[in-house]
Amino acid sequence: MYPELLPWLVGLFTVSVLLTAFLLTRPVLRRLAMRQVVRRPTETALVALGSVLGTALILASLVVGDSLDRSVRQIAYDVLGPVDETVRSLSLEQGADVARRLASLADDPRVDGLLTVYGDQASAVVESGGRTAAEPRALVWELDFAEAAEFGAPHPSGLDAEDPGADGVVINENLAESLGVEAGEQVTFYLYEQPFDAVISAVVPAEGLGGVGRGASVNSNAYFSPGTLTEAAAAAGRDPTTTTFVSNRGDVEESAPLTDEIKAAMEGALGPLVAEGAAVATPKQDVLDEAEEAGAVLGSVFLLIGSFCIIAGVLLLVNVFVMLAGERRGQLGIMRAIGLRRRYVTGQFAIEGAAYAAIAAVVGALVGVGIGRLVVSLAMRILNSYEAGENQLAIVFHVSPTSVVNGVTAGFVIAFVTVVITSVRIARTNIIAAIRDLEPPVKHRTRARLTVLSVVATAAFVAASVPAIATSEGATTYLFPSLAAVSAVPLLARLMPLRAALTAASLAVLGWALLANTVRPDIYDDASTATYVVLGCALAFAAVMLVSLHQSVLLRPVRRLVERPTQSGLAARLAIAYPTAKAFRTGSTLAMYSVVFLVIVLMTQIMAVMNAGVDRAVVSATAGWSVRVDYSASAPIDDPESELGAGEFAGQVREVTPIVVGEAMGDDPRVVAGPPLPVVAVGFSEQLAASPLELDSYLPSLPNAQAAWDLVYSDPAYVFVEAFYGSTGGPPGETVQPGSVITLTDPRTGKQNERVVAGVVADGTAFYNITGAGFRYPILMSASAVETLGVDVAQSSALLRTAPGVDISELTTSLQGTYLTNGLVATDLRAAVEETYSATNQFFRLMQGYLALGLLVGITSLGVIMVRAVRERRRAIGVLRALGYQARTIRRAFLAESMFVAVEGVLIGAVLGVVTTWLLFRNSAAFASFDIPYPIAWTQIGVLVGITLVASLLATVGPARRAAAIRPAVAVRIAD
Amino acid sequence: MAASGKRHATNQQPLLRAESVTKIYRTGQQEVKALDRLDITVRSGEMLAVMGPSGSGKTTLLNCLSGLDDIDGGRVLVEGRDLFAMSDHERTAHRARAMGFIFQAFNLIPVFNAVENVELPLLLVGVKAREARTRATEMLTRVGLGERAAHRPNELSGGEQQRVAIARALVARPAIVWADEPTGNLDTVMATQVMDLLRQLNDEGQTIVLVTHDLAIGHSAKRLVRMLDGHLVHDEMKERVPG
Repeated sequence: MYPELLPWLVGLFTVSVLLTAFLLTRPVLRRLAMRQVVRRPTETALVALGSVLGTALILASLVVGDSLDRSVRQIAYDVLGPVDETVRSLSLEQGADVARRLASLADDPRVDGLLTVYGDQASAVVESGGRTAAEPRALVWELDFAEAAEFGAPHPSGLDAEDPGADGVVINENLAESLGVEAGEQVTFYLYEQPFDAVISAVVPAEGLGGVGRGASVNSNAYFSPGTLTEAAAAAGRDPTTTTFVSNRGDVEESAPLTDEIKAAMEGALGPLVAEGAAVATPKQDVLDEAEEAGAVLGSVFLLIGSFCIIAGVLLLVNVFVMLAGERRGQLGIMRAIGLRRRYVTGQFAIEGAAYAAIAAVVGALVGVGIGRLVVSLAMRILNSYEAGENQLAIVFHVSPTSVVNGVTAGFVIAFVTVVITSVRIARTNIIAAIRDLEPPVKHRTRARLTVLSVVATAAFVAASVPAIATSEGATTYLFPSLAAVSAVPLLARLMPLRAALTAASLAVLGWALLANTVRPDIYDDASTATYVVLGCALAFAAVMLVSLHQSVLLRPVRRLVERPTQSGLAARLAIAYPTAKAFRTGSTLAMYSVVFLVIVLMTQIMAVMNAGVDRAVVSATAGWSVRVDYSASAPIDDPESELGAGEFAGQVREVTPIVVGEAMGDDPRVVAGPPLPVVAVGFSEQLAASPLELDSYLPSLPNAQAAWDLVYSDPAYVFVEAFYGSTGGPPGETVQPGSVITLTDPRTGKQNERVVAGVVADGTAFYNITGAGFRYPILMSASAVETLGVDVAQSSALLRTAPGVDISELTTSLQGTYLTNGLVATDLRAAVEETYSATNQFFRLMQGYLALGLLVGITSLGVIMVRAVRERRRAIGVLRALGYQARTIRRAFLAESMFVAVEGVLIGAVLGVVTTWLLFRNSAAFASFDIPYPIAWTQIGVLVGITLVASLLATVGPARRAAAIRPAVAVRIAD
Repeated sequence: MAASGKRHATNQQPLLRAESVTKIYRTGQQEVKALDRLDITVRSGEMLAVMGPSGSGKTTLLNCLSGLDDIDGGRVLVEGRDLFAMSDHERTAHRARAMGFIFQAFNLIPVFNAVENVELPLLLVGVKAREARTRATEMLTRVGLGERAAHRPNELSGGEQQRVAIARALVARPAIVWADEPTGNLDTVMATQVMDLLRQLNDEGQTIVLVTHDLAIGHSAKRLVRMLDGHLVHDEMKERVPG
């Protein structure tokens, strides 16, 4: 993933390594740094753990992207194999003409296969021993088996079988599995509604020609001897589809780059036939492009989630090194006193940091690949629940060398740079204060240089904020004003106490982060993941700063508990005293907890909103239509309105509205030059217009939604798109606006039609997978409007309204059995909507699980901090024990301290998460259709809080026990 | 006990009695007897100075008699009870109730301010928060730091920190105060101030056991014991030499 980042990351990595190598040439620095590393192996391991997790999460995100990319590419291997280009003709005459014109390509050295076949859709049934199994959407092919075996040679064609003869058939593994049959058994195919019995002569893998079909779908195929299908079609007065497959030279992926050249050569050979509908399709190139985009989108979603974990990891590193410096303060002071320059202090820490970063890079890479593998398998399972049956993606775990290098170098560089920046601050330690363990001298007046810098930076960020806010650019709209507020702190500190200046800046950042989207409602329209990262950080950091500055006010309610003259009261006093005294350390731990918990709660709340809106969504997506039926275009139901509501279905089906469909490619009016989108033109009839689906928006010139439906039904120039038109699976962006113009292109002829968007349908689930050939974005228009597009139009679907109390499951089974010869597939629309929600929920849960790794960083950090705190406070603990603190009081104090920090962090994150989701719920267009009261997932949030606090408590049990076991005489270091 | 020199006799009741106390430090195969069957009695109202060269066992004696450290033989009787027959819980409670400590390195709790440090022993014995704060403030005023009550240790000078430590050691009116080199980290002026304060408190009846290297301080105590190689080699009651 992200090969464009590779040179930058490798460059930064090389600079870091060279710098470390240079520093290692200084014997004093080398000795100081390396002895610190080896002095306490357990602590070295704990320090490295933080950056290990950071590196692991980066690499895991990249591996998820790699794997999705590879899984989609696998379709190219499984389904297309050697097939690079296809030309599909609807008439035998045109098909023969295409084959004749393309025959010249056989001599082209760039082409290693040319094959013309006949195909159509049919239903296949097996009835034996009381068992009936059916596949309503099998693809049947007629071809020359010898030619098929040679197609794409020397690479395998995927269909190397003997001709089955006039009564035989070769089927692929998908169809065999679907029917539960093997070679030697008999299958009945309904070819153009007429039964045709054939004995299976062979079962071939669903790869290459063995899995080929429509687009990139995985197909259930049957192959017949020459003459079988064409004769059945002729008997029914129909023409099968003629398809010419072309294989470019080379194996599956090697051949793809030749696509543009071969396509041009084919179009040249086809001449006028292209305009007559015999267009060249490039399915393999389309699949490979789709793979790249799908991998990038999913990878970026996980990287977005991972980035919060990485931020937590960076904070852990900062915290650990600040603590290390605190522990070695006296040592550092003495070293500085005897002549160690500031840059040498930085150098010593840099070497130490490089050692930790190196451990992190190596171990993190291994852990990251493991996490990636786990996430991939879970993600694929969830993604596949969107896709019915055979169109599921095969899980292909894949790690590219680019991702490994990117992950390892990014992890190293982040850890190294964090340590170097932290050590610059450490190196500024006042020598006397360090040696005598005193507070550094307080500068009562801000230095003039800092004030000037503050003025310049504030002015610059304010200036940068203006265009960012004006254009509603997501990330910078949050970032620049926040940075302006932070930059103004030194300036404000000249006018008021520092605490007041920090409070003002924190309030400004928090307020802006919460309310920016009410001022600029289009802020999320660019669908950038960076917007969410900046928003989360701004909210969490500002809230943590406010809490840290005003702990004394917040702790007033527990003052009575702290003042109690009991061991519990004394434990509580200690538990609060240390975190409030160590503001930086506590603040960074709070930030870790709150930033991760904020996002977890945000996801929980979004799920709660969606779940609360399922019933409403079903109504919105179905408008009371309960079932969709799809049947074979080659064996259509002649009059679905009267047939499907009659006979045994008379009392069950109240109303039927036929639907016509046509596949096309559409553009995205929000994107200047984006890739074409696969769309399906859905032509509806009067009944649907009279009882329509809910619209999110419609042309402002129209008085109401019904007027919009009337307009689209009566005027072919207008269409509806759905709210998710063009969505690729990342964060929701701006929807297509009514009034936009969409260009629809016939993929076969290239003919273009412009249509005006009259409105946006809230939920188009009722039309998903309506062609049975994978996902296409539905575009709704009148049935007559579909005819005007010039695409292949099929009357092959209908929506059914059922009587109250009808068992939908029984009805769909019964419909499929009755119309088996028509290849009818019935879909329960409520179940389809609920399945979409369920899959979305699972995906959110997966991301929550991924985020839990960030929480693990926070909890680990708390454990590391408490381990170091035991060492740091050894003497104080000894004194307290000498004064009369019981061992159990010390233990309780440590446990209570970690609880105090965890509770504060979790509460900040939870409150911000609930408030942010509420603001999104109130203001974001994505929730516009949710006409429900704002729900709060108390139970789920409660469980998350409980688990986090228990885990935090467990992380502190060890250090607390160690603290309680400290012997006072040893700790106070009274030595003779 | 291998003591020599003039033996001190007093009518005061023994506050603490150590009998044949032995303490051994083990490092690897090596054993060092820091205290070797040592006997000593501390009486109420005494100001006892323990002196001796480095490694003679002064601090170990203080740690063992106060119950901060375990012993390997003998017993220490306080109020008629063996300190080391008590559980850790009981011994800790006894320290809170009956002992105060002053350390060379002051050892104030860095996250508490002066008055919070001083009130800790009172809270440990169950004094109500308000009363504890009042008494701690009074004690700080008594040691001359009434104005510095809200300052954290790192905002105080060494002498001020040690006076806070003295206030902390005395605020709960313990039966005995253990002081380990209380002036070791102070300059002469500060050291004099601190010793004057301790003597004044002793004159008011406070029992104090202090470990010191400083001859002048040792001679200014009412009773001086000398240690060598884990043995008490000298125990002398004398008139106090003005500091």
